[in-house]
Amino acid sequence: MDEFLATFETFFNNAVFYYALFVMGSYVALALLSAVEMNGYMKKNSYVSYREILVSPLAPPVSILAPAYNEEATIVENIRSLLSLHYGNYEVVIINDGSKDNTFQKMFDFYHLERVDFAVDYQIPCNEIRGVYKSKLPSFAKLTVVDKVNGGKSDALNAGINVSSKGLILCIDVDCIVQEDAILKLAKPYLEEKHMVIATGGVVRIANSCKVEDGKLVEVNMPRNIWPRFQVLEYIRAFLMGRMAWSRLNGLLIISGAMGLFDKRTVIEVGGYDHSTVGEDMELVVRMRRYMHEQDRRYAVVYIPDPLCWTEAPADLQILGRQRNRWTRGTIETLLKHKDLFFNPRYGILGMLSYPYWLFFEWLAPIIEFLGLSIFIILAVTGHINWEFSSILICMVYFFSVALSTVAVLFEEMSYQQYTKGKDLVKLLIAAFLEPLLYHPLTVYWAIKGNIHKFTGKNTWGVMTRKGFSNTKTSELTDQTTT
Amino acid sequence: MNFLEGLINYIAETYTDRLNYFPSNVKTSLLIILFCVIATLEMYIYITFRRLSQANEKRQLDKWNEHVSNMLANLIIFDEADKTEDIVAHFYPKMKKWPLRNKVLNKVLISEILTYHKSFTGQIGEVLSILYRKLGLDKKSKKKINSRNWEVKIEGIREANEMRISEMAAEIIKYTDDENALLRMESQAAYINLSENNPFHFLDRAQERILDWHQVVLFEIITKNKALKIPSFSQWLRSPNDTVVMLCLKLVEHFMQFEAAEEVERLLKHHNPRIVKKSVEIIGKLELASAETSMFEIYFDQPEDVKLEILNSLGKISSGSYENFLMSRIYSGNVKIKKEALYAIKRDQHQGEEKLRELYQQTTVENQALINHVLDSRIKP
Repeated sequence: MDEFLATFETFFNNAVFYYALFVMGSYVALALLSAVEMNGYMKKNSYVSYREILVSPLAPPVSILAPAYNEEATIVENIRSLLSLHYGNYEVVIINDGSKDNTFQKMFDFYHLERVDFAVDYQIPCNEIRGVYKSKLPSFAKLTVVDKVNGGKSDALNAGINVSSKGLILCIDVDCIVQEDAILKLAKPYLEEKHMVIATGGVVRIANSCKVEDGKLVEVNMPRNIWPRFQVLEYIRAFLMGRMAWSRLNGLLIISGAMGLFDKRTVIEVGGYDHSTVGEDMELVVRMRRYMHEQDRRYAVVYIPDPLCWTEAPADLQILGRQRNRWTRGTIETLLKHKDLFFNPRYGILGMLSYPYWLFFEWLAPIIEFLGLSIFIILAVTGHINWEFSSILICMVYFFSVALSTVAVLFEEMSYQQYTKGKDLVKLLIAAFLEPLLYHPLTVYWAIKGNIHKFTGKNTWGVMTRKGFSNTKTSELTDQTTT
Repeated sequence: MNFLEGLINYIAETYTDRLNYFPSNVKTSLLIILFCVIATLEMYIYITFRRLSQANEKRQLDKWNEHVSNMLANLIIFDEADKTEDIVAHFYPKMKKWPLRNKVLNKVLISEILTYHKSFTGQIGEVLSILYRKLGLDKKSKKKINSRNWEVKIEGIREANEMRISEMAAEIIKYTDDENALLRMESQAAYINLSENNPFHFLDRAQERILDWHQVVLFEIITKNKALKIPSFSQWLRSPNDTVVMLCLKLVEHFMQFEAAEEVERLLKHHNPRIVKKSVEIIGKLELASAETSMFEIYFDQPEDVKLEILNSLGKISSGSYENFLMSRIYSGNVKIKKEALYAIKRDQHQGEEKLRELYQQTTVENQALINHVLDSRIKP
């Protein structure tokens, strides 16, 4: 038995070592690719004047689709913010997804809505639309409100797609703070890429503790609460490093559900958002990409590093856990639904690189990590651990993680430098040291829980209530998220 | 303290005496740790120095911004009765005393003069142009245009464009068909403004694509520049470069160039569906009844978006010749086609809405809902 355990220990040590090397190698490769892409983007766009597209009649028309469910506290402000975006040719479609509170009534009263004789063309399936409303006031002519039977976010977006009238659709979370020039920047790739662009996405940033005035972000601050602060670091790493690199490879699998601009015709051709998954944003992009491959059409999914959308991150561990649990289930559902992509050369980068990466590093990594930790504990209890080697291995992973996060902070510094205050920068760098010890173990735990829930059939969306910005003219997003 | 000393000694020994005796995986791990620690420290140092240098640059920028802004503000409030030469003679010696070799000052000065030049025309614009030349900034712009680096070239082209240094058009024309799309666009935009005799000459030689984005920019420049002599864009509608044709079609539409009618109708048979669609749109906008038959002839072979555009244009022309055709389309299996046909019928200013109300009595429930939709003026098509 001892001999077996000793052999197993050697095998285990080597397995952990080589797996860690593999993961770290892939992160370094992504960081390098991202640096190249970012540098190219920054150079190219430092000469761009967005003024032209803003006023031009040639700017591509865009429909903003924002589902709203029980948003009575902030809906009026949110719509006002959307109606004041800088773009010449757009409409705002708010979909009231059977809210149980006064969301619809608030919109109805404030925006002077009246029902119109809208004949809905159900090009993609969605629950019954009870009515389509327009404002009586010409100043709100851009606004359309859809009132429908509750069916979830995907269903609401599908209803919005059926009602929208423009060629590009911007799907957003209604409570996000959208930068005024967001549409301009997202629409630009549609006008300049060689191949057909089917989707564009931008960086989502954390708005906790930031100052908001009239629905617009006026001052960027580092969150006071430690958990959103870790998420700031996590988002910078994921968006500026990970997604930029995948964009470079034209291998992006996800456009954040908080904000993404899509080619409407392609979305309709693939059947719209899938109602059966909680990871509808990723699933849609994967389905659109595979459809384009199957049609033998050249295409691009483009990612923009500009901070275009600010969202309130969960500050409460319970809510954060639910969110991560849902993200994990969404990833699993998408990967299982499209399992035939796995190392399938027919789908190019999508099948040979993006899909396997997501499988090994997004889905399986926390499981492998958890299994590794469990075996480590068993070996430690039975006295079959080489403590020196294990400590060195743990240190390697830790310092690599700190270095990677510092690279992410460097990317942020060299690109948009949103955190201008020195103390905010220091907080971010300290978070890089603490994150692997405090935050990462929790994300692994939530991912494991997500796996268990997925395979035991607990597939709920989960309550995800946000505090939001108050109705006062100037407010600061608090770190308190309520259930 | 003993623990810390012990730890330091352990690390020192590990990386010196013991390193060679470790198995390869431990050795690799140790080297990775060392690399990560050094890299992290270096990044910290770099970030710190970068912030300090930014703060220093900002201080300098603020200082020179204040000087330059004050000077230019005085310039614009100068008495209008004064001669241009007198104003220049007053300000030039003062500006000349500035250390113009200072990069920060140079950057601020060029940027401010460009901004003021954009905002003021007439005598102030003239004074600024003269000062720009007298201070030798035009030579610097020319030098930039001939630089090897495309970013510097663009900077120089923008400066020349903004200051309207027309003699630089000859230098810029060579970049209007450059492989670098950004440089190409900037050059085309500048060439239109700077060339005195033939601002659209670049269209004759354009082999590279004029991207949709660039078309937006060029369209804005061409349509907003009141001083520009607008040619008949039909002369480029036979260009082998589809993007040139597309840009010219947009301009034909904007300037309502009826003389291009024949060429536009010919483009209905173009191989590029985007050009066909745009031609159909122009035919509708110019209400070219003579092209109705040609549109009808191609209708059934077109993709959906071109079909919709043809219906839209037939509605805009509303000659009555294709009323039966439009009526027949409302029994199509495609809701978009039905809706567009109904809108086309409605566009007949005299009887459109009346016809739809009549039709309402005789048609299917689905079509009735669509007619209600089309008749509701609050819903934009």
